[in-house]
Amino acid sequence: MSSNVVGLVKVADGDITSSVENALGLIGFKTSRKVESVFIKANLCYYWDSLTGYTTDRRLVSSLIDILRKKYGLQDADIKVVEADATAMRTSHVFKMLKYEELAAEKKVTLFNLSEDKVIEKTVNVNNKEISLKIPKCLLNLHGKDLFINMPKMKIMSHTTISCAMKNLFGCMAAPRKIAYHPMLDETIVAMNKVLKPDLTIVDGIVALSSFPVKMNLIVSGFTPFSVDWTVSRIMGYNPSRINHLRLARREGLGDSKDIVLKGEDLSELRKMWPHVNAFRLKWQNRLQLKLLRTYCRIVGDVIPPFLEV
Amino acid sequence: MVPMLNVGIIGLGQMGRLHLYNCLHIDGVKVVAAADQSKKFLKKAESLGVKKLFTDYHGMLNDPKDLDVAIISLPNSLHRESAILALEAGLNVFVEKPLARTVEECQEISNAVRKSGRKLTVGHCMRFLDSIEHVKKHVDRGLVGSLEVITAEEILNGPFSHGAVPTPVPEWWFNPQNTGGGVLLDLGYHMIDLFRFFGGEADAVFSVLDHKMRLPMEDGAIVVLRSRDSDTKGVINVGWYQKSIFPSFNFRFIVHGNAGFTSTEHFTPKNLYAYAVKEGLKNFSRRIVGRKIKPLSYTYYYEQYVKELATFFDSIRRDMEPPVTVTDGLRTVEIISQAYKLGGLQQESFL
Repeated sequence: MSSNVVGLVKVADGDITSSVENALGLIGFKTSRKVESVFIKANLCYYWDSLTGYTTDRRLVSSLIDILRKKYGLQDADIKVVEADATAMRTSHVFKMLKYEELAAEKKVTLFNLSEDKVIEKTVNVNNKEISLKIPKCLLNLHGKDLFINMPKMKIMSHTTISCAMKNLFGCMAAPRKIAYHPMLDETIVAMNKVLKPDLTIVDGIVALSSFPVKMNLIVSGFTPFSVDWTVSRIMGYNPSRINHLRLARREGLGDSKDIVLKGEDLSELRKMWPHVNAFRLKWQNRLQLKLLRTYCRIVGDVIPPFLEV
Repeated sequence: MVPMLNVGIIGLGQMGRLHLYNCLHIDGVKVVAAADQSKKFLKKAESLGVKKLFTDYHGMLNDPKDLDVAIISLPNSLHRESAILALEAGLNVFVEKPLARTVEECQEISNAVRKSGRKLTVGHCMRFLDSIEHVKKHVDRGLVGSLEVITAEEILNGPFSHGAVPTPVPEWWFNPQNTGGGVLLDLGYHMIDLFRFFGGEADAVFSVLDHKMRLPMEDGAIVVLRSRDSDTKGVINVGWYQKSIFPSFNFRFIVHGNAGFTSTEHFTPKNLYAYAVKEGLKNFSRRIVGRKIKPLSYTYYYEQYVKELATFFDSIRRDMEPPVTVTDGLRTVEIISQAYKLGGLQQESFL
């Protein structure tokens, strides 16, 4: 099976487990080798539940764990759900608040804060820029007996237009102050994707995020984050070659859009379900508002409330 | 000429900084001291002309000779100690809500106010919200007749709101020993105070507490209140569980009387962006003709914080009782304590 195959599966009758099985079957996912440990990187970027469209649905993670154990024979594998601290989020709280602690107890898996792992510094060249990355050791030392699964959320984001598989790997960065990378976010996302190579990507599009939560009931599966993101951006109605990190990823050899093979649901039908948000508006509306606000306050001498301060 | 009041700000978190910025716009007020553990925020205060900076607020209160007022914006667990020390140092005190974590702590503050002869007010800012002022005027003019039922709801993200620049939620919010409670002591505090403001003295008669976010304190609450002075009942519905991004503000206060009803929704701008532009232009014109601007009016909701401070400073100058007294803070916490008991939770278990 091509490594650029992407599966699109609708969750039928709320049966997430069957849908994940279908999504894995569509892309021909196999684990023939002896797997000892599994790292599942969910997207738990903030304390907002999956139904807000921001974070990975724990039911999807739960279904995947069941399938890996029952269908792929990984009963004895050490399964870890991992996330790193972010600028505004602390993993210790998010695991509890999004009920991942309950999931871990029920499924007997481990929750692991990547920010608490030993950090390995790596410098990667992207777009002729040297990007210094702080990567958790556990994800750098993956070998044939490990399985690394990327479970992003399907959503829009002002800085990168779409936030999905490639952006979720940026979230593996051990340093909590990820905002420091925002001035060169596209390059850093590509750099992280040059270093971290997940074996599988399963996208949570059950409730996705446009400018509001959208019940897409969709699961997207694939092997390369590039192929998955290219497809997801098309579902969202964006021209993928105009999304900076995808264009850059293609230039850096992380994938080729020509090779992508779509299986399952009709992309054009999914596209009709998505409430499109203009990419220019998405990128500039907030920034423009904040710039106008700062200019106004500077001229008039008015107060900026602390939470709007930059 | 307005007599000058020298202010010291204790705590430069989001609320403390907001009070600092607002003080710079209020006539006859000078912020002369600030205390916070964060050097970054102390530097910010220094850049705004604050001369005396302390990394420990005890330092400020041990040397109070240049001060008239202390503004306290610390975690709830420090309200009692800091307010009492400030009163003992001879200062008038503005303390952020809640007055303190428990009824006992509030009583200690109340005793200290009596002993000191100084004025103390609590940040019951929502009484100063423009739409609440409108509703109050309607009710006072008798337009709704006798008050029967008040519905007050505020469902937001509370401490878990996301700012323009992401910053971590301060750790003390996750620790019930520091907060003394959850959403009831945060948003519920305001709603209960508003009920008292309209319906008079009250008691909680029913309460349901919720834990949707798996926090050690409640993140949702519904409380039914009954006025002691009249037939008015109230339904308070508060939550921290809803994602909210500024300027969205899920708050409404509805007053039902036997002659009609009114609601804050009738007086809240429908389009907050258009309102911001309109108010911004007004301030711009004021600035051009050399008049004083109305700080934060463009935000609609944040103007209340300027008004509450200005009103308190005014009451100090006139030597009058502030509109919000220590008793208001104490009674609000007493009702919250009743609501915890009715909801099957002993507040003491938090502490």
